[in-house]
Amino acid sequence: MTMSLRRSLLIIAVGWLALITLLHAAINLHAFHPKSAAIEQKKFRIGFLPVTCHLTCPVTDFINKQLTGDNIFEPVRFNGWPELKEAYLSGYTPATFILAPMAMALREQGVPIKIVYLGHRDGSAVMVHKDSHIYRMEDLRGKRIAVPNRFSNQRLLVFRALKQAGMTIDDIELVEMPPPDMPAALYAKAVDAISSGEPFMGQTELDGYGRVLWLTKDVWPNFISCVLAVHEEMIKTKRDTVQRLVDGIAKSGKWIDKSMAHRMETAQFVSKFYYNQNPRLLTFVLSKPPDRVKYTNLTLRKPDFEEIEQLGRESGILNGSAHFEDYTDASFVTDESAVQPYAWEPNEQRAH
Amino acid sequence: MVALFLTAWGLAVRLSHSDLFPTPGNVVRGIAELIEKGLLLKYIIASLFRVSWGFTLAVVIGVPLGLVLGWYSRAFQAFNPLIQIFRPISPIAWIPVAILWFGVSDAAPIFLIFLASVFPITVSAIAAVQNMQLVYLRAAQNFGLSTGELFRQVIFRACLPQIITGIRIALGVAWLVVVAAEMIAVNSGLGYLIIDARNAGKRYDLVVAGMVMIGLIGLILDLLVRQLEKFDEVRWGYSR
Repeated sequence: MTMSLRRSLLIIAVGWLALITLLHAAINLHAFHPKSAAIEQKKFRIGFLPVTCHLTCPVTDFINKQLTGDNIFEPVRFNGWPELKEAYLSGYTPATFILAPMAMALREQGVPIKIVYLGHRDGSAVMVHKDSHIYRMEDLRGKRIAVPNRFSNQRLLVFRALKQAGMTIDDIELVEMPPPDMPAALYAKAVDAISSGEPFMGQTELDGYGRVLWLTKDVWPNFISCVLAVHEEMIKTKRDTVQRLVDGIAKSGKWIDKSMAHRMETAQFVSKFYYNQNPRLLTFVLSKPPDRVKYTNLTLRKPDFEEIEQLGRESGILNGSAHFEDYTDASFVTDESAVQPYAWEPNEQRAH
Repeated sequence: MVALFLTAWGLAVRLSHSDLFPTPGNVVRGIAELIEKGLLLKYIIASLFRVSWGFTLAVVIGVPLGLVLGWYSRAFQAFNPLIQIFRPISPIAWIPVAILWFGVSDAAPIFLIFLASVFPITVSAIAAVQNMQLVYLRAAQNFGLSTGELFRQVIFRACLPQIITGIRIALGVAWLVVVAAEMIAVNSGLGYLIIDARNAGKRYDLVVAGMVMIGLIGLILDLLVRQLEKFDEVRWGYSR
């Protein structure tokens, strides 16, 4: 290779790398705003998925920013359970919203995880295609049902509903599927029923091809599925930060449930700024019916978790070695009725 | 051909009365929306950044490694099984490892892209060395070259055409893997656009818009690499 060719190639290669790195750093990493970069590093990150189960996470962040201008928490949005879980395991997110059975299973495997608060109650459903002739649990015999994850409470819910209808898990075919793919799968009739958190269930109803088989609130009242969990280390070393986090989550829960106007406001700012979804989805799911999903009454209670433990053992995802005291720490909110909602009302000006 | 394809696409969507699959018109509007929000440039730069670094690392490591392994048969026998074991493992399988090692940052997708690209390059280089014509070696030996000169002046130049082919393939693979690599909670990039559009409800127009952008940029990259083939140093290796 002549010197000039090699030289020119090297110059082009190095030049391109330098250019693209500069562009990326400037546009995507804000490297030239040193203050914001430094603040990014110190933030306490909380993982979440764009589902209503985790709604209190963005709401807390948004209202905090409105009230105080900035805060030490940074919500990090993931696109699937595996990435969310791995980021938690690697310590990138010291706190995260997570499926309760998944947190319990992680504890059984020795991961230092502690559930500190619930994320929500209810807020899930089983949907079928509106043209199908499935109207009761018994009609699902021999059919295919999609659930988000084997550690999801939706799977346990199906288990429980089968038990109540006198059927067993072998009477149906259970498949795991990421919640965002479920509406399309139902539309294409690739599966006969789907179950996950909102707003993916409501989406099928809104778009006209889905029908509710049952809402969880009608089958398992006060159903819990997602919880807020933190690293045990955080509780030991940064207890006040964790306390602030739980206080914030509790307050935003009360704020959301205070009035329908608050719920509609939530639908707007969460869809636009955090979930990147069409606001009509969250608007629908937070209002029809109004108690489709609830954000109060979120204290950790032993009977709720023992029920999950038992169903988990029966369905084979838990081995029963971890108990309520091992995987929860209920000391952060001792009296939920004393929690006051955020004192913030939306007005015309937004501080965004 | 392209016009025919687009017409067929639009017709197929209309005829199937599909509510979900976008028409070419939807996709164009989706692209326009991205440009309006200033996101398209951001995402393209982020993806190009990760692919550039991952691919460059793969070339810098893969080419010398391939040349050495191709030349020294003992080394080849020792390392080839390892290469053949790791090669078929999809980058998606490496995602958990990438997160644990590199956290949630640009380093993780760069690592995945590197992994995907380094194998085609190394294997091409090895094959090129092993298939080198003996006449070059004999001539080099006649001239009494040192090992360093042997590698730089003879082996590398003799293998260049095949190495460039390997690089073309690897660049295609790198760009292909960017969607998988950007599944790891990075918040920018064309792959991220596609995955996030799934979460956003019915935004399949954005999904296909992302695919279209990836395809177009892949085409441009390939054209650029093929310019390399025009140089004399490489052209001698091709008969047409």
